Amino acid sequence: MTDPFNPYLPEVATILETVQETHNIKTFRVRFDDEAKMAAFKFEPGQVGQLSAPGIGESTFVINSPPTRMDYLQFSVMRAGEVTTMLHGLNAGDKVGVRAPLGNCFPYEAMKGKNIVFVGGGIGMAPLRTLFLYMLDNRADYGDITLLYGARSPADMAFSAELPEWTSRADVNTTLTIDREADGWAHKVGLIPNVLLELAPKPENTVAVTCGPPIMIKFTLEALKKLGFEDDQIVTTLEKRMKCGIGICGRCNIGSSYVCVDGPVYTYAQLKALPNEL
Amino acid sequence: MSRLEELKTRIKEALPGLECVIGWQKGYDPLHNTPLFMRTDADVDKLEWGPLNVHNPAVYLPTFTGKKVGVVVKGCDSRSVVELLQENLINRDNVVIFGMPCTGVIDLSKVKARLAGAGVSAGTVTAVTDDGKTVSVTAGGQTTAMPLAEVRADKCGRCQFPNAVLADAYVGDPIAPAAPAAAADADLAALDAMSVPERMAFWRYHMERCIRCYACRNACPMCVCRDHCIAQSREPHWLTQDDTATEKLMFQVVHALHLAGRCTECGECQRACPMDIPVLALKKHLNRTIRDLFDYQAGVDPQAIPPLLQFKLEEDNIKERSW
Amino acid sequence: MAAVKYIASDKLPDWLKSLAAKSRVLVPVAEGGGVVFRPYAPGCRPVFDSDATAPPKGAVFPACQELFRYEQGKDPEDPGKPTLKLIASTEAEPTVVFGAKPCGARGFLIFDRVYIGKKFPDPYYIAAREATVFVTMACAAANVENTCFCHWVGSGPADGSGSDVLLTPVAGGYTAEAVTDKGAALLEDPALADGAAKADEAAAVKAAAREVLGEAPDIAASPAALLAAFDDADFWRDQSDKCVSCGACTYLCPTCYCFTITDEPKGMSGRRMRSWDACMHFQFTLEASGHNPRPTKAHRLKNRVGHKFSYYPTLHDGLVACCGCGRCIKSCPVSVDIREIVQNAVARAKG
Repeated sequence: MTDPFNPYLPEVATILETVQETHNIKTFRVRFDDEAKMAAFKFEPGQVGQLSAPGIGESTFVINSPPTRMDYLQFSVMRAGEVTTMLHGLNAGDKVGVRAPLGNCFPYEAMKGKNIVFVGGGIGMAPLRTLFLYMLDNRADYGDITLLYGARSPADMAFSAELPEWTSRADVNTTLTIDREADGWAHKVGLIPNVLLELAPKPENTVAVTCGPPIMIKFTLEALKKLGFEDDQIVTTLEKRMKCGIGICGRCNIGSSYVCVDGPVYTYAQLKALPNEL
Repeated sequence: MSRLEELKTRIKEALPGLECVIGWQKGYDPLHNTPLFMRTDADVDKLEWGPLNVHNPAVYLPTFTGKKVGVVVKGCDSRSVVELLQENLINRDNVVIFGMPCTGVIDLSKVKARLAGAGVSAGTVTAVTDDGKTVSVTAGGQTTAMPLAEVRADKCGRCQFPNAVLADAYVGDPIAPAAPAAAADADLAALDAMSVPERMAFWRYHMERCIRCYACRNACPMCVCRDHCIAQSREPHWLTQDDTATEKLMFQVVHALHLAGRCTECGECQRACPMDIPVLALKKHLNRTIRDLFDYQAGVDPQAIPPLLQFKLEEDNIKERSW
Repeated sequence: MAAVKYIASDKLPDWLKSLAAKSRVLVPVAEGGGVVFRPYAPGCRPVFDSDATAPPKGAVFPACQELFRYEQGKDPEDPGKPTLKLIASTEAEPTVVFGAKPCGARGFLIFDRVYIGKKFPDPYYIAAREATVFVTMACAAANVENTCFCHWVGSGPADGSGSDVLLTPVAGGYTAEAVTDKGAALLEDPALADGAAKADEAAAVKAAAREVLGEAPDIAASPAALLAAFDDADFWRDQSDKCVSCGACTYLCPTCYCFTITDEPKGMSGRRMRSWDACMHFQFTLEASGHNPRPTKAHRLKNRVGHKFSYYPTLHDGLVACCGCGRCIKSCPVSVDIREIVQNAVARAKG
């Protein structure tokens, strides 16, 4: 008799490579040890996984590599609490557990044929990265793609190895910004919402996808509204403390919406319809 | 005017300057009173005084940081207020204390057992009256008279502070404390009489019954780190979530040690326990040690510093140099 | 419907013994001033005339349960390579829960919709649920307590939903009705006799208990009313003022199903466990950043009441996530009354 699917049992995976992105963000590239499961693994951009180290526990992260690049699954971890601090101690060759895919995904099908504006702040670039790369890998399906990515300082910019490509590609308009002047910085200086107003993307046939710290989201939403974006043209992702990741354990709900299964991706219109408990 | 009416008048006079005044009102059935948060005169009219006021309203005071609140206290509750003041957990300028002489509160577990003995369920109570000496409880169509001295809380049997030890408004004439009842410390005596293995078995039995709801912790007016409690913390990770007597006893011991010399023996930990586990005995035991070593009782003198919260080069009662 | 059976009180130990020979039998027994479910052993005296202090929730959903064990090691071929092995077992012990009140058994109906979901069925829960049979004792009029409100939430003192067998106390013993096939199989025991002659008496006992409860207020508006009150901070302050934020209400609740997951390492191996958690605790929703979406007891009580009387019914065809047993009221150290809160919200919505 084969055991029924056990949603609590992670896949054992090995860390292939890590990247110390910033002083507090570390990227992990992992593959399931079971190659057949790795080959069969499917997910959609925006879905999350529970990454765990045995003895430490699990934490939820977006799979920030795109489904079009399945050499490994990539998770970028900002050090904040107990689990993330311990995860930062792991290196290539170490074993982790992965429960994925969990949660919903970006409406990447419905976005086909539309212009896309990505607005990412800090670690908020991670969930955007999966969709951004997916779109680059399916470039013909989408209209103009604009990326605005900001961080506090150059040293706080994750994915720095990829930034030269993102800024030099002709088929995307990439703008990088930092909060304050810094030596050797060749890009924009200014807060993300202000730079967004300067860039002034047109709302017609466009979807804005934004993720970042709460204060940035607050002002980015205001800027997008000012630019004429409707609530259902704005997509964002939420974070909550999660345990089970499968809609049972009861802590990530906002009213009757469970962020672990009904989210983490919500349109601004959907968010406004939820009770006010972020 | 009855004393209760006079108390209400005093509260109403003070209410405009206060966030609220905490007292008691009738609860969901005649056997249960429940804490009352008075914000309007109409709320004050709901105030009750009597043996059903089993809760210690001091537990709420630290949650009103920066706000000025009033609190109605029994003598035992006032000791918790004083201990909170002693530890600077509340600010004297931000609390107005209303007191009345207290002749004791009931122990709901004892009442429940009495009713069970009479063949009726405490869940079916339809009326409760008391004349100061006897509580008469009507349940399942029959009335059972219970002498207050027999169903009062154990703490009332040893109470030396029937009047508020500190009050801004005191209604009524202070009463003299009674001589401690013979059985007031029967719980400690029973534990003292046990051998160590017996005592361990006693606690193991009770801890296996614990459901880890932490009502004991959250009902304790002196347990102020409850949101950051070691029992649920992963950093440090001293306790597991294993549902075992060992883990649960570990929490009780940590809790009791934190309360050594701070606990006023209000008994809320034990009263709050839905499984009726006698957890107060742990605190009473440590308090007895503190009393012997330091000649100190918590929550009696607002100026006193609890012995374990201070460093003295030489303690008055500990002759360590002569050891 | 299957025929009504009857078991005389003095035959009950025989039936319990024969059940206990085949599986774990949990019965309500008096312990430490309360009533709790414990494994039946010959000579033990089950308590059927008062509702248990703690419901039989742990029979299917233990307070703490191992999800899997893990073993870390080193590859013997290449000691530089760490290895990790996970070992899980979802097996559950065959169990009969005997003598719970209808509300205690009904709690699992609320669990079922969450734990036996389409997308992520929970194998631990399902195994335990399938291995457990509920022989439930209907309430007689004398058992109805001041805190009972099963009739508010679509249930009643003789509600068999969630149970496999429904017993009803009658003179000299109990009638037994099978609710499910699993239950019918249990009634094929020589200790039970035909109960047709007792059927009318059982019906009268049930009707009398229902009569004592009286009429239930209409709380159909509670899902919308609680949502409408969501941002009314004064309302929730008033409802939660006296709450001390402990977990007595949730841990004693037959329908509260929330849990936490923690790892407990011991050297190179360890366990991942799930254990009961309570939405009334500050840490329940505390995020690693220090942010807490439910930072005060008002937020947390709002979620507890909201979940039971608004969010859950919204997701599950109007089914209220409360069985009306009243344990949260009876065992609350400060007598917070969920009935009052729901009614206050409904009254507030009416204006």
